[in-house]
Amino acid sequence: MAYEPKPESRTEHADAPEWKLGKSHRKVDAMERMRGVTRYTDDIKLPGLLHCKILRSPHAHAKILSIDTSRAEAMDGVHAVVTGEELSIPYGIIPWTPDETALAVGKVCYVGDGVAAVAAVDEDTAIAACAAIEVLYEPLPAYYDPEKSLEATAKNADGSYTGADGKGVAINPYARRGNRSKNVVLEFGEVDPAIDQAELIIEGDYFFEGTTHGAIEPHCAVAKVEPNGMLTVWSATQVSHYLHRELAKVLERPANTIRVIQPPLGGAFGGKSEPFDLEFCVAKLAMKTGRPVKCLYTREEVFYSHRGRHPMKMKYRTGFTKEGKITGVAARTFLDGGAYSSFGLVTTYYSGQLLCAPYRFPAYRFHSTRAYTNKPACGPKRGHGSVQPRFAIEVQMDKAAVELGLDPFELRRRNDIGAGGETVNDFKIGSNGFLECLEQVEAASEWTERKPELGYGRGLGVAGSTYISGTNYPIYPNDMPQAAVQVTLDRSGRARVFSGANDIGQGSNTMLAVIVAAELGLELDDVRVLSADTDLCPVDLGAYSSRITLMVGNACMEAAQKLRRKVRESVAKRWEVPKKRVTLVERKAMDIENPEQSVPIAEAFQWAESDHGLLGEIGSYNTPKDRHGDYRGGTIGASPAYSFTAHVADVSVDPETGVVTVHDIWVAHDCGKALSRRIVEGQMEGSAYMGFGEAIMERHDVDPDHSGVHIGPSLLDYRMPTFLDTPDLHALIVEAPDPQGPYGAKEAGEGPLHPSIPAIANAIYDAVGVRIDTLPFSPPKVLAAILERQEKERNGELPVFKADKRGDINDGRRSA
Amino acid sequence: MAESLLSLRINGEAVSTAAPSHWTLLEVLRYRLDLIGSKQGCDKGDCGACTVQINGEPVLACLTLAATAQRGEVRTVEGLSWAPEASQGCHPLQDAFDRWDAAQCGFCTPGILMAAEALLRKRAAVVTRDEVREALAGNLCRCTGYTKIIDAVVDASEVVFGQRGDESTDDSAQQTGS
Amino acid sequence: MRPFALIRPESLTQARDLVVAKPEGRSFRAGGIDLMDRMKEGLDDPELLVELRGVGELAGVTESAGFSPATADGSVPENLPSGALWRVGAATTLAEIAANEALLDGAAALVEAASQAATPGIRNTATVGGNLLQRPRCWYYRNRELVCLKKGGDMCLAIAGDNRYHAILGGGPSFIVHPSSLATALVALGATVGTFRGASAEDAITPGRVLPIEELFAGPKTDPTREHVLEDGEVLEAVLVPKAGAEMRSAYGAVREKQSHDWPLVEAAVRMRVDAGVMKDVRVALGHVAPVPWLSPEAAEVLEGQAPDAELFARAAEAAVAKARPLDGNGYKVPMSKGLLREVLHRASGLALPE
Repeated sequence: MAYEPKPESRTEHADAPEWKLGKSHRKVDAMERMRGVTRYTDDIKLPGLLHCKILRSPHAHAKILSIDTSRAEAMDGVHAVVTGEELSIPYGIIPWTPDETALAVGKVCYVGDGVAAVAAVDEDTAIAACAAIEVLYEPLPAYYDPEKSLEATAKNADGSYTGADGKGVAINPYARRGNRSKNVVLEFGEVDPAIDQAELIIEGDYFFEGTTHGAIEPHCAVAKVEPNGMLTVWSATQVSHYLHRELAKVLERPANTIRVIQPPLGGAFGGKSEPFDLEFCVAKLAMKTGRPVKCLYTREEVFYSHRGRHPMKMKYRTGFTKEGKITGVAARTFLDGGAYSSFGLVTTYYSGQLLCAPYRFPAYRFHSTRAYTNKPACGPKRGHGSVQPRFAIEVQMDKAAVELGLDPFELRRRNDIGAGGETVNDFKIGSNGFLECLEQVEAASEWTERKPELGYGRGLGVAGSTYISGTNYPIYPNDMPQAAVQVTLDRSGRARVFSGANDIGQGSNTMLAVIVAAELGLELDDVRVLSADTDLCPVDLGAYSSRITLMVGNACMEAAQKLRRKVRESVAKRWEVPKKRVTLVERKAMDIENPEQSVPIAEAFQWAESDHGLLGEIGSYNTPKDRHGDYRGGTIGASPAYSFTAHVADVSVDPETGVVTVHDIWVAHDCGKALSRRIVEGQMEGSAYMGFGEAIMERHDVDPDHSGVHIGPSLLDYRMPTFLDTPDLHALIVEAPDPQGPYGAKEAGEGPLHPSIPAIANAIYDAVGVRIDTLPFSPPKVLAAILERQEKERNGELPVFKADKRGDINDGRRSA
Repeated sequence: MAESLLSLRINGEAVSTAAPSHWTLLEVLRYRLDLIGSKQGCDKGDCGACTVQINGEPVLACLTLAATAQRGEVRTVEGLSWAPEASQGCHPLQDAFDRWDAAQCGFCTPGILMAAEALLRKRAAVVTRDEVREALAGNLCRCTGYTKIIDAVVDASEVVFGQRGDESTDDSAQQTGS
Repeated sequence: MRPFALIRPESLTQARDLVVAKPEGRSFRAGGIDLMDRMKEGLDDPELLVELRGVGELAGVTESAGFSPATADGSVPENLPSGALWRVGAATTLAEIAANEALLDGAAALVEAASQAATPGIRNTATVGGNLLQRPRCWYYRNRELVCLKKGGDMCLAIAGDNRYHAILGGGPSFIVHPSSLATALVALGATVGTFRGASAEDAITPGRVLPIEELFAGPKTDPTREHVLEDGEVLEAVLVPKAGAEMRSAYGAVREKQSHDWPLVEAAVRMRVDAGVMKDVRVALGHVAPVPWLSPEAAEVLEGQAPDAELFARAAEAAVAKARPLDGNGYKVPMSKGLLREVLHRASGLALPE
């Protein structure tokens, strides 16, 4: 029987939850991390632990003619070697695109593809053994540009795709359409006439350079097999349930003989949201050797494993009326997917589906094509699929505001989609605090007063966005709940929460504790959260698509409220008062009408346990099924509730060097209801920071001229903002409670990233009058654009930008 | 692999262990002494997660040979818990980080705490936000956007140094500094 | 990282003995920052590491009336600089220089360069010697999988590759840029370096050398696999910086994509005395534009004997890059160098930037 979601009963207890909800809390698991005693995956110690290293391809594209592991296997200290043939079942996080194997079978598809894995007594021996493995390759032509890659395998006359004209080569061995990984065209309304007849048409070509997650903890996995055959895999993953399933599939073992544990995690941002080669390798090697095996990626391997943000080439046409109302939007997008699908099917949809708010599009078409290339595979990074097109859309808006002579805030207000309606692609919007977000950043940045006064070299820019709070459908189709939580109470006045959700540093364990503490009158210290252990916890789908607060929060709230009801009933019975007079607060049960009458919470729990037996309840959550479009792809990107964000960025641009300094970012975010304020602020600040880094300096790419090697697989060469670079970030929480969220809560972890990049781009224009439509806004690029504009100004082709404000004190020159 | 004997002083105590002669201090701390608080994020000196103190100065354990570290007094994040200024195993910096939610995933935090502790000890006054930025410029954090870390370090310096007599204001901190 | 043996001499005499008959596979390290990085990347695998950090004579900044050469026979090298000097031992850390307020008089450019290099944690370990003698950051050189000219290959891979960070001046056949920021400042400051050497095979003492710092570095035309002229067994002992006093002004600046732990895109350092309204003893150096720290006599010539003036500075900046030959990806370095050098000249001379 299909599980029915239960959205009722959210108003029963207007009295109690404020006791903890919406406050700032110490996180339930932070102190032990700061004392250095938390055991992350690499901190796990097991007797007899072997170390695994993976031999990786030096070729971007090559056939494997032979692999000889005999020398490695004969080495002292080497316990086992595994190659692709032993793990040859293809898998993929999206069940429709299983197109990768744990180790290469027959061919390698990018520099860094795993070829063989070794288990040895220590890392040095494992590295030496990898070097002793002889692999014979036959290089194949490699493709680094998505459009060239697509051309290479155009459909042949006989219906085949591989080797168009006898020349091109399909990259992915499981691909069905040559190098085309996914193609989506969706059109809503009469788009071309709506744009062609518009009073203003803005056209732009945008390029979003790929970026990667850069979690400070590298991927790590440990496996052990017990004599009864039970396989335990500890992994730094954000999707323990999906890993559990894929391990069962690839290792051909029943899932009930596998236990996946996610130890405390050192950051993820989407970079750990699917299975990776190391998890299969340590499991297989543990099975072969009977010894526990660990694999810790080097930082270089993290860069090659990637699954980061897709590079996207985007062509946008937007029509506007002269009042600034959007008439239609058309987008043509190429996604550079890398060697495997990863989440790419979803990314391709998201690149169009997630953009239909906060502005009303009367007509909309997107055509997105994802291509395989011989690069590290791309996947989901914070703000999956929509950060790139959001950049294009918000810069288009800014260009229109300039053309129309409208304030960019006003332009955005005029296009606001509002609450409770439907998007052009039939997604149902619930609450919407976008206008308040705009208002907050406009006021906090003193936009109206400051912007007209800023000299040449200094500028303000604004951008807005929306994001999902979980997706309406799980990755594999099923009718079971998307989230489930068990809560038990004990006689000492404590609560235990069992949840499959992955706390990846975002604080979801604390969110659960806050809900339980709020409902049961406890302190957070009284709540023990056990999470992300497939043996101990109910299934949760994982930490992706900003789903945990809404989905797991709803499930937890349901369980906690059932317990609250039991405890209140038992107390009311003993006091002989109506149940509604009993509240649970400050570690006691209290009579609202006679606060003198109270009992310690432990005693209240004991009364309830006497009445009901062991106090344990479950809650589960599934999404409503009526909030998406009724067309192919109409469920992808639909969410129970949408968050909204607006940013203002304040930048200086040094016209001598092209250096962009971002001084401040004001970020206002409608999270529905902040269950724990500091955690929400931290998500907003971290998001704004991450977008800032992508805007100014980050660049994940390979070198097509030199066999597709990564241009700098280190945290030195891959530039991530430091304490000195990062602007002052001002988090402004906006709360437009959504009926779908627990206590009205929506997401806060990904949405607030989106506007960073276009807000900075728009501020650069405001500072020096140049549009940088390709990322990142690095000094060479900005300087070239400034020099080009200056040349045109000298030739009279363009007016002198901010001619009246040259040399103002407020200008962008760097201080000494 | 040939191991050599190491005699180190760590967190005020003499420690002896054997380890391969080419091991870094980080490897010895983590894999021989089970002092797992110091983290390996890059192993190349780029992220700062392995920051420890030698003779009171923050250095990168991943670039320090364990043999070399024998010359000095090593201090790791574990040592903060029993520092004189700690109470109930919690250093004022750790307490401030906890109150400010300055640790999200917490992986970079031990290294940041060691760099921040060195700043507070040397500065011996309430610190400014810019001083914190300069002192922590070698520590990458990917979660927080740094804001709450700066808040927490300034707050901790106020807790430690701000309540002495009338030195509780920023102005007096400026005067007592450098 | 491959296993190795480590020895730690505590005096120059001990170190010198270890230098004798230096076998292949022996490397010297002070802070060891770059060497460790190269060893972990598999670019270097010495069998024996000689750690110089414990050698007392190599440590710290001292005032010195002249150079007291540490040649084993006590002979005095020729071309000793005259006048008062700062002696900066090769094992002095960047943090020590950054914190040395006395150096601000006359050698401010060095302090500025040291305080911006790398990160606070690295500056506590990294030394002057290691900074000057570190290998290039070129991503082709650093990539284990690629064999470039620096690693004995046929050609510089930057020529037909991504050369956004490569040389616009003095390039060919290799187009790396020299990675040392201290070198840029020290070249502008007219510093000298002193070395010591072990005995030759015949057991005769070979005295150390004293070189103007720009002669320590060698462009790729002689030997593209190395960046300096030190011979086998020759070790950098100290850098000697003229102790010029407060009337000698200097400044250093860099343009970076990231404000900490990043190599500059371009950097500039200048030194000058402003005497009776005109600039004297001007030296101008650019960094990260050439395979060596780039001394620009052309820019100095424009400035020497003239009064500080914005238009003059612009002309000097033009002169500094007049001979630039950018590759296809690094043309931005020409205007960027000019813009930066103008800013640094204004700062050094005390002339406010024009609005």
